[in-house]
Amino acid sequence: MSWTASLTLALRSLGRRPGRTLLTVLAVALGTTLLVALGSVASTAGSRIVSKLNNGGPGTAIKVAPSQADSDQAYTDDLRATTPKPITEASVNTLRQSTSITAVVPVMAAPVLVVSPPFGAAAAAISSAPAFNNTMLGVDMRQANNLPITMLAGRLPGNASLDEIAVTETYLDHSGMSVSGVLGTLVEIAEPQAFQSQTGIQFRGRWIKATIVGVVSQQVGSGALLVPIEQTRLARQWALAGVDGGDAFPLPTSPYSGMIVLAASLDQLHTARQAVTELGYANSAAEHLVTSVLRYLRVVDIVLAGIGAIALGIAGLGVANALLAAVRERRREIGVLKAIGARDRDIARWFLLEAFGVGLAGGMLGTLSGLLIALWVGISVNDYLVQQGLQSIQVGDLSWPLLSVAIGGTSALAMAAGIVPALKAAQLAPREAMAAP
Amino acid sequence: MHLPGSDAAPSAHAVQGRVARLGSAIHVEGLNHWYRSGRASVQALHRISLDVPAGGYVALTGPSGAGKSTLLSLIGGLERPQQGGLRVGEHNLTGLRGDALAAYRRGTVGFVFQHFGLLDLLSARENIELAAALASPAPDHRRLALSLLNEVGLSARAEHRPGELSGGERQRVAIGRALVNDPSLILADEPTGNLDSESAMRVLDLLERIHSERGCTLVVVTHNEAVAERAERRHRLDDGRLLS
Repeated sequence: MSWTASLTLALRSLGRRPGRTLLTVLAVALGTTLLVALGSVASTAGSRIVSKLNNGGPGTAIKVAPSQADSDQAYTDDLRATTPKPITEASVNTLRQSTSITAVVPVMAAPVLVVSPPFGAAAAAISSAPAFNNTMLGVDMRQANNLPITMLAGRLPGNASLDEIAVTETYLDHSGMSVSGVLGTLVEIAEPQAFQSQTGIQFRGRWIKATIVGVVSQQVGSGALLVPIEQTRLARQWALAGVDGGDAFPLPTSPYSGMIVLAASLDQLHTARQAVTELGYANSAAEHLVTSVLRYLRVVDIVLAGIGAIALGIAGLGVANALLAAVRERRREIGVLKAIGARDRDIARWFLLEAFGVGLAGGMLGTLSGLLIALWVGISVNDYLVQQGLQSIQVGDLSWPLLSVAIGGTSALAMAAGIVPALKAAQLAPREAMAAP
Repeated sequence: MHLPGSDAAPSAHAVQGRVARLGSAIHVEGLNHWYRSGRASVQALHRISLDVPAGGYVALTGPSGAGKSTLLSLIGGLERPQQGGLRVGEHNLTGLRGDALAAYRRGTVGFVFQHFGLLDLLSARENIELAAALASPAPDHRRLALSLLNEVGLSARAEHRPGELSGGERQRVAIGRALVNDPSLILADEPTGNLDSESAMRVLDLLERIHSERGCTLVVVTHNEAVAERAERRHRLDDGRLLS
């Protein structure tokens, strides 16, 4: 019997019992829906987490302190600092030569006095002026994407801008402002300088005004203000133009207050840390944490795949059951086909194609509904993230491997489920053709 | 549906009017056959010996359970003989099994069943095309199917499904289907059993016309004495034994 004839028979047979066919297809579709929805959600969530860990997240970022590392530094994620060790341009350039490192971003911190609104006469009417000591962190804004910085609202300051600034939630705590309310407001900052007067060491400030353009969460360093490094470079020059202010404002010694070293990948993180440690710098990285997170993600994947597989297994049993019923119903038809010359494999092919048809239809339907569910979940998650003032995730990405595995795998599974019924049908005796109605 | 057909298979028009050629001779010798009923083994045929000449027309009669259908299914290759000899034409059926037996059925035998044996999900033409597709891998089965439907007088009903045809029409479609492989042996199991007398006579007329025009051997199993009387020879079975 030709493939065309077998396919025609299979399709017509499916149409003979539309109710049963529909239920079987729906069972397969349900299993596929579960598999695709779970797979898509897990894949999106997993890739998002891995992406955040990889790209500027804590995963591949190594925080380097201007200190000498102790002998145990290589064995712990934590910072093991001993004596000061300046971070110089030479150190930065040395690390940039390493193949396991993609970026080295120096950080320049400057101590500042921060004054939040209201200013002037309005401030005088308030008993406790909203001013506090803190640290301003300067980084090269062109490399901000490589840094462990998460935008909570607004945007980052423009590159080399001297009148734009981003703040952390620490600033909001001090100023009493909200995430949405702080954007566009001004902040006054005093960069201190110690000078020798006739009465001893005194301090004066280099005052600047900047517009708050963004709210961030960052792990670049300890500080409530994030600015372009050009701003902190000016503050450093201002401080160095003065004298040593003692414990309160000592003269900066290290050219940079720290640096963020980015490993080329999670796999290269350990090698990159070794390079930093061998250079003598104390450093910290979430090396073991990341490994654990990835392992847990893998476990989640396995569990979700297991749930989907169970659903598909049940669907497969449904296919097998429906086909076994069909074999029972068609005993005489099978016998007649054999009587007019059909071989065992012709009969088997008829039932296998029928199973394949159910699997293909169910797989396509289930994949479509699974993707819609995943899209709906993604949109719901995005709504929640936006409500929380967090960055939204990208939804609606199609994972072609997942789609092809879902449709192809479901069809193959249905065919596998059809093997036993197909063999039973093929092994029926041709004499069934003579059976009484 | 279009089921590929065979140019090699002779069309009905081509065989119409052809001088009768010799069908397959049947030679049965000492045939015993058993079937299982639960744990018991029941002997369905006892030392049956029978010869049907090539191109002969034979009726097998007898009461229910006499073994007529069993003998027919053995001659038609639906079952393998268990003991004794059975030859149809050049085929020694005792040595055939599996695909070889299927090839014998496909190439030599045309079956007509009491229940017609048509697939409800296919039209009259498609039923014949399917049989043609089994008989030959060559294309143009549609032309052959339409030609055979014309031969059995059902051209106008080609696209009707069995459920839309009368009993007599269904049996004529089944006869048309039995002819797709230009069989040298036609086996009819109670071909008129489900038909009214008028339809039964039309079906018998058709079978006999095909038998005479094509020269094929015709074996008819029947309860009906009137049907049996039309055969050239009659054999009666009872309790698995050939009485005459």
